[in-house]
Amino acid sequence: MKSMLMIAALVASVSSVARAEEEDPFADAVEMRHGLMLQMATDLGKVGAMAKGEAPYDQAVAARAAANIAAIASVLSMDQFPAGSEYQASADSYALPAIWTAQDDFLVKIADLNTAAAGFQTAAATDVDALKAGMGALGGACSACHKAYRQPEE
Amino acid sequence: MRVLAWVVGLGALAAAVLWFLARPDPLAEADVAGLTGDVTRGEAVFWAAGCASCHMAADATGDAELVLAGGQRFPSDFGTFIAPNISQDPEQGIGGWSLLDLANAITRGVSPEGEHYFPALPYAAYARMQMQDVADLHAFLQTLPADATPSQPHELAFPFSRREAVGVWKLLFMGKDWAVPGSLTPTAERGRYIAEALAHCGECHTPRNALGGLDTGRWLGGAPNPSGKGRIPNITQAKLGWSAADIVQYLTTGFTPDYDSVGGHMVHVVENMARLPESDRQAVAEYLLAVPSVE
Repeated sequence: MKSMLMIAALVASVSSVARAEEEDPFADAVEMRHGLMLQMATDLGKVGAMAKGEAPYDQAVAARAAANIAAIASVLSMDQFPAGSEYQASADSYALPAIWTAQDDFLVKIADLNTAAAGFQTAAATDVDALKAGMGALGGACSACHKAYRQPEE
Repeated sequence: MRVLAWVVGLGALAAAVLWFLARPDPLAEADVAGLTGDVTRGEAVFWAAGCASCHMAADATGDAELVLAGGQRFPSDFGTFIAPNISQDPEQGIGGWSLLDLANAITRGVSPEGEHYFPALPYAAYARMQMQDVADLHAFLQTLPADATPSQPHELAFPFSRREAVGVWKLLFMGKDWAVPGSLTPTAERGRYIAEALAHCGECHTPRNALGGLDTGRWLGGAPNPSGKGRIPNITQAKLGWSAADIVQYLTTGFTPDYDSVGGHMVHVVENMARLPESDRQAVAEYLLAVPSVE
């Protein structure tokens, strides 16, 4: 009897997970943007360690990380932000509704990130001082968008 | 009956003494005599003290950050404070202010008319400022544009709307002592000056008691967000656990050690800190590592 109950509970929980996925049409979009941000953070970690002096400056590694950051920036678009995939409407989404109500500005901020990332590619391939100085503008572009369009974590 | 008369009499005397002690306590002309401000140094003081973060229009960027027309709203347990116009407009702003007026406002919390300001203006921190820095700031502020937007009244509930009560608050909570006392390394002491006197980190990162005074025993130990959402983090080593290099990078770029980026009002703080020389961010990092841990 007890095992029957456990199986029933298991089936119920699995089906509720499946149902939640069915009911969240934006799960892929949210996963896609989180994946892009995770790759971005990984590449930033490589150049950031050099900026902090925790890793020796390696031009090839820095240039590759900066190229990745620029590539990710170039992919960012409304494709990952379908209307409705916002905070509390979609699981794990921290996207604020202003993304869609102020879409022009959101796209300007993505363009700003692309500009900063292009500048950073040059800086990262130059030397460690240029790399250090270049991270400020890059970080500014990240936080400008996050400040306006991301729900702060509790 | 005689006892009652005594109680009433003593009560009146106590009230009179309190009124006397809690009256506005402005500086004298002699306190600022002979000081000449330097615009370039004043700009560094301006960013370190975070003036624009509150006094610019909400979401201003670029040159608009230097238009200090006010209007940003700051909710609190006592009501909503609305940042006033501190642009150079002589009518609506502070265009007509002398150095003494500015020094009284930011280090004593007293207006040119001799009234208490509410401590939403972090004069309890600025009270520790060096007077030369105030003079430099005064010189820099005079280079900023005028804007004729009128200041809006604060939206406070009685009794917090009474400015007289602020005098008692000052008696209880305002002092010039450092929150992290004693002698530190010269670098950490520079960091202490930036963090405690100018950047007023404790205003958000330190919890407050019921009367709105900072609980200095839990200095920088984290506090509820006055906007009502979430918490301002504990940034002592017990909880933060960042290296000096991590802190410097965060204050320069806004990247956390996980390469997430800064959020909320702290975005302004990072923008401000990023404008200072790297040696100042290094100093703040060294100070932060010297702050006693709060569990």
